[in-house]
Amino acid sequence: MYLNNVNPSVKALTILALVLILALLFDPVTPVLFTMFTVLITFLFGRFRKKYYLFYFLPFTIFAFGMFWTTIAFADPPQNPAETIVLLGWEVPEENVLVALSLSFRVMAFATLSLLFMFTTNMVEFLLSLMQQLRLPPKLAYGIMAGYRFLPMLKTEFDQIRAAHRVRGVGTESKWKRSRRFAVPLLAGAIRKAERTALAMESKGFTGSRERTFYRNLKVRGKDWLFPAGMGAVLLFFIIFSVRFGYFSWYQGQL
Amino acid sequence: MKNWKLKEIVVMSVLSVVFAVVYLAFLPVGKVLVGFFGPIGYDFIFGIWFIVSIIAAYIIRKPGAAFLSETIAATVEVLLGNAVGPMLIISGMIQGLGAESAFAITRYRSYTLPTLIFAGMMAGVFSFAWGYFQSGFAALAGGYVLLMFITRVLSGALLAGVAGKLLSDALAKTGVLSGFALGKEKRKKHVA
Repeated sequence: MYLNNVNPSVKALTILALVLILALLFDPVTPVLFTMFTVLITFLFGRFRKKYYLFYFLPFTIFAFGMFWTTIAFADPPQNPAETIVLLGWEVPEENVLVALSLSFRVMAFATLSLLFMFTTNMVEFLLSLMQQLRLPPKLAYGIMAGYRFLPMLKTEFDQIRAAHRVRGVGTESKWKRSRRFAVPLLAGAIRKAERTALAMESKGFTGSRERTFYRNLKVRGKDWLFPAGMGAVLLFFIIFSVRFGYFSWYQGQL
Repeated sequence: MKNWKLKEIVVMSVLSVVFAVVYLAFLPVGKVLVGFFGPIGYDFIFGIWFIVSIIAAYIIRKPGAAFLSETIAATVEVLLGNAVGPMLIISGMIQGLGAESAFAITRYRSYTLPTLIFAGMMAGVFSFAWGYFQSGFAALAGGYVLLMFITRVLSGALLAGVAGKLLSDALAKTGVLSGFALGKEKRKKHVA
């Protein structure tokens, strides 16, 4: 599928650029349209297990809703207090509602963009591409790759420590104390393993120099540029659309 | 990156990955607090989200440790999926830069408790300045924003500075850090 094959560095930089542009917009219409568009192309051009998408997407909607009500509840006094909207039986200044809507839809737009990246990018390919396209030092990149591999191991480690504690009859204190009882052994074990991993890498000839060869060479091809061009063009179209219909609002000291 | 040993890099990444999970676990805690107190809820526990930069800098003691560890942790958080999105990487970089600036001011020579507290506070100052721009704090009332700022800096001092030092010292006691700057320092003290 197309999205899975876009060069990861190009994809990451495009998404970062889109996020920065969206952060400057203060109308509710552009982020809402862009959110829908992002979800659409993720499903059309991405290959991933679709049911997980909903599982990840749901917390974002809750977060966006939280953003919505807190922004209204703790808002600065509005400039036109006379214009109000009735919301669940409460009279709220229209200005505050619009800002709150745009902030919460922005959260949704950010969320769908990061889900697009998350679901269609392989972590190893991303790091390889960061090394090959963006000159990330190999020492750091392979160090991170090794560190990332520890993630699934942590769960096993945690269960082991718990079992060990239980065998010795520990485990009746408060939650706070319990977390302290786990933190040190968990971290100590992770550090010990990390040191051993580094030793193993070096003994197999890893020097961390930039003059190295790769088994997999990732390149930026012509069709990779389709992604930034397409996403940028659609965002521009939505901005023009909301300007035409008078919804548009740029950053004007709302912050 | 040249004067870093590979084991220091791998240990830093592992710490970042571990704390990325911790950071994610604290997001719902923050949400509950926000439910009770409004936006200031996050600020009570904000220091937790700076802790890896303090720990990594305190253990490894090389320029860049605070910045890199926080950046990696934020990136891992994004890759694991969270409600803030890729913007979080930028927030992480800024928090890391805040802590890093404190160590840079001491020219990477001092790693005492006051320096670590200062680093936690600087991370709070930097992250608040960024949050002011990014999350629209100016839409909130002025006195409330000031209260948020003070809370966040204090939280950075305690939850990142003090707690980070305590946790690292507890780790050093187990002996796993004997190959790192912190462990070497402890051993020297012990002999002397």
